[in-house]
Amino acid sequence: MSHSKVPKNSPLSDAPTLPTVALAVESVTVDYPGVRALDAVSIAFNRGEIHAIVGENGAGKSTLMKVLSGLVRPGGGTIRLDGVARIFARPLDAIRAGIAMVHQELNLVGALNVAENVMLGREPLTLAGLMIDRTAQRARAQHWLHMLGAELDIERACSDLSIADAQFVEIAKCLASNAQVLIFDEPTAVLGERDTKRLLALLQRLRDEGRVVIFISHHLDEVIAVADRVSVLRDGALMRTFTRSAQGVLVSEDGTRADEGTLAHAMVGRELGSMYPVKGVSNATIPAIEVTEFGAVGRSHGVSFAVRAGEIVGCAGLVGCGRTETAEAIIGLRQSSGSVRVAGLRVRLRSPRDAMKRGVAYVSEDRKGRGLHVTLSSITNMTLPSLSAYTRFGGRIDVRAEQSVATRWIDALSIRCAQPHAPISSLSGGNQQKFALARWLQTQPKVLIIDEPTRGVDVGAKAEIYRIIAQLASEGLAVILISSELPELIGLAHRVLVMHAGTMVGEVTREQLEQRGAEERIVRLASGLTAEFGETKEILA
Amino acid sequence: MSSDRRKLVQEGFRALERWGVVVAFVLLFAVSTAKQGSDFVSFENFRNILNSNAAIGILAVGMTLVIISAGIDLSVGSMLVLSAALGTLAMNLLIAAEWSEMSAVVLGGAITIGAGLLAGSVNGALVVFGRLAPFIATLGGLAAFRSIALALADAGEIRSQSSTLFATIGRGGIPMFGLENNAGKPLTLTYSTVVFFVVAIVAQWFLSRSRFGRQLVAVGANETAARYAGVGIAWVRFRVYAIMGALAGVAGLVQSSRMNSVSTAQLGLGSELDAIAAVVIGGTSLRGGYGRVWGTVVGVVILGMISNILTISNVSPYWQGAVKGAVIVLAVLVQRSSRD
Repeated sequence: MSHSKVPKNSPLSDAPTLPTVALAVESVTVDYPGVRALDAVSIAFNRGEIHAIVGENGAGKSTLMKVLSGLVRPGGGTIRLDGVARIFARPLDAIRAGIAMVHQELNLVGALNVAENVMLGREPLTLAGLMIDRTAQRARAQHWLHMLGAELDIERACSDLSIADAQFVEIAKCLASNAQVLIFDEPTAVLGERDTKRLLALLQRLRDEGRVVIFISHHLDEVIAVADRVSVLRDGALMRTFTRSAQGVLVSEDGTRADEGTLAHAMVGRELGSMYPVKGVSNATIPAIEVTEFGAVGRSHGVSFAVRAGEIVGCAGLVGCGRTETAEAIIGLRQSSGSVRVAGLRVRLRSPRDAMKRGVAYVSEDRKGRGLHVTLSSITNMTLPSLSAYTRFGGRIDVRAEQSVATRWIDALSIRCAQPHAPISSLSGGNQQKFALARWLQTQPKVLIIDEPTRGVDVGAKAEIYRIIAQLASEGLAVILISSELPELIGLAHRVLVMHAGTMVGEVTREQLEQRGAEERIVRLASGLTAEFGETKEILA
Repeated sequence: MSSDRRKLVQEGFRALERWGVVVAFVLLFAVSTAKQGSDFVSFENFRNILNSNAAIGILAVGMTLVIISAGIDLSVGSMLVLSAALGTLAMNLLIAAEWSEMSAVVLGGAITIGAGLLAGSVNGALVVFGRLAPFIATLGGLAAFRSIALALADAGEIRSQSSTLFATIGRGGIPMFGLENNAGKPLTLTYSTVVFFVVAIVAQWFLSRSRFGRQLVAVGANETAARYAGVGIAWVRFRVYAIMGALAGVAGLVQSSRMNSVSTAQLGLGSELDAIAAVVIGGTSLRGGYGRVWGTVVGVVILGMISNILTISNVSPYWQGAVKGAVIVLAVLVQRSSRD
């Protein structure tokens, strides 16, 4: 508020509180070598509004956010803050102007506790500035966390926090720096259902306090639920803006109502076919994989299920319920209890390498940290697990064979990748994910465990990944699909296993998935309730 | 406009990072030539630079591989002296037992390299199975390996009992056609230099063309991701330290034969720092996951040329460390500026 240029007692303050434009970009253009990332984009961000920005990967969302946070200087155009043209030459300028970004990768100091992180760089001092006033530090941190409605032990080390709680600390940090404009870059991508609700409620609270909330998300349902205004970017240009009307519906200038279809259409410029392919049938009798009383030591227990060839079995559960840990234990990345049978044979998989030899592959949810080597080339990434297939006498790698196999996969999965020898980080999330799939498909697995396959992937690529997964299953692969996106599980899986607090609490059958209320059934199970039908689902608020 | 210029500067820095080591080499060469003329630009001078830095070069090649795996080996100088001491002692014993000089030298050489391999394997086992940080594990080696060498010889010198053959390894060479030294004798490319080059070429090949090299880069770039990809991390890391040890043995053989003796208190002292410096100057990332052997070779030559030109110019050897230090820091600064 202190940045507002409108005098306190101006006539305006008596007028009905019209949303005032706090931050505006005017014909902003950004050129990268060979590509125009932003093409004369003009958007006004108002106080007291949640302004969602949607678009496919590469549409210019990140570039726009980088412009606002001082990471990229536009080649043309103006940024106005409260009507005054500003130049953000570096991130610090934007922060000082009250613009804060909550990054996808959280930037907390793990060794410090919650209070210390919230007040980082703004420690209240005492003894003539020589010592940190710990009491005040705790009190202020508590104050900001309280405002967010977060119940957190402020003495806890941040390295112990769940992703959801860490996000709250990060937001509290932004508030402590007196940020008036908060940019959220896909904040819900790493959250489960319940934490997503909590976060969306928080966005609404920040809006109600008169802050500018900019919300980037691939989840169109969330956008439709909470945004007051939605700007759709495609190929660096502003395509369309939807505004919430007095009746509470999002409509565009020409009166089109915003729903997932119209938004997706504006984003990709073409109709998406049905997002989910038709489900196949499995005729196999012996399970491709069967785990009994299985668990990751200390994280999960008593998990039993079997998956047949040609089947896609979903796995749902809140973040922290032990899904990923169980999967990691199956392929030998963690200590496990219980037994695993692959194709009827009792096995003990000691490492991913071991699992690979038995035909079990795991595609990690954490693409950047575990799933791929972001600094290495696409080809290197793709052939790393199956390198021995390309190794000739004396350890020599047959680069030509490697190249030709890569070309084949790029073709088969329609990966958009102009330079397979460039670092894979230069590709969009969807194309990276396809390479992550290709690397394991090359090892010819019988069982594929895919963890959050569409996290950070845009709508167009999502549909393609679904098609690929369904295709693989129809060719006889047993697929375990771990996902936090219920529509994805319902649309793709033959049945869904639900986990809660480290163990399996139920299964939703194919028939149940096709009935109304399937989502609710899963949510109730995942929350530790029984799968009874109760009150209608409260949508995200 | 300004963003264009910034981009140009950025790209300039990126090119400098990639080719900086070559630029530095050319600059240094030009300055030295201008200053010293024929003293510097003679084949003999170059032959001498290479010859006297061959052992450091062999260590630096191994160090490049270790650093690419996101590790470090501080014990290379101590492994060098220990393996040379053991090899020379064994050779002397064999000569005393009236073996033929040839078989004694060959077996002694094999023991030198084998001892290095063994010492390196100890490092590798500590890092992989003992889960020690490479810095700590090899810091232990730095102290322990030299101490064993010192104990073996009572901190003195182990003189080779081979009459001529052993010294030939370090001093002899292949005559270069049509070239003569100041004294009018045919100029030779020393065996030490040949070994250095062969080691470098093989290492570069392994790094860029073999499965081991690929896995080494993957482990160095992101160990967790490599584990998820089914790379046998333990075996990869163990091998790189074992190879480093074997190369320290080769360097030990080169050094001890050149001196025709092993001074347990002096041989290879501080050479870990020279080796690491050459790797860094050559553009290999200390964070692991990226590196090149040829850069290291140029780095070794640059360090050698600096000493050489300072010596020719009668600069006190006490000052040479300051100049080297400045060059190392500069190299890291240039590498870093392009990443910001």
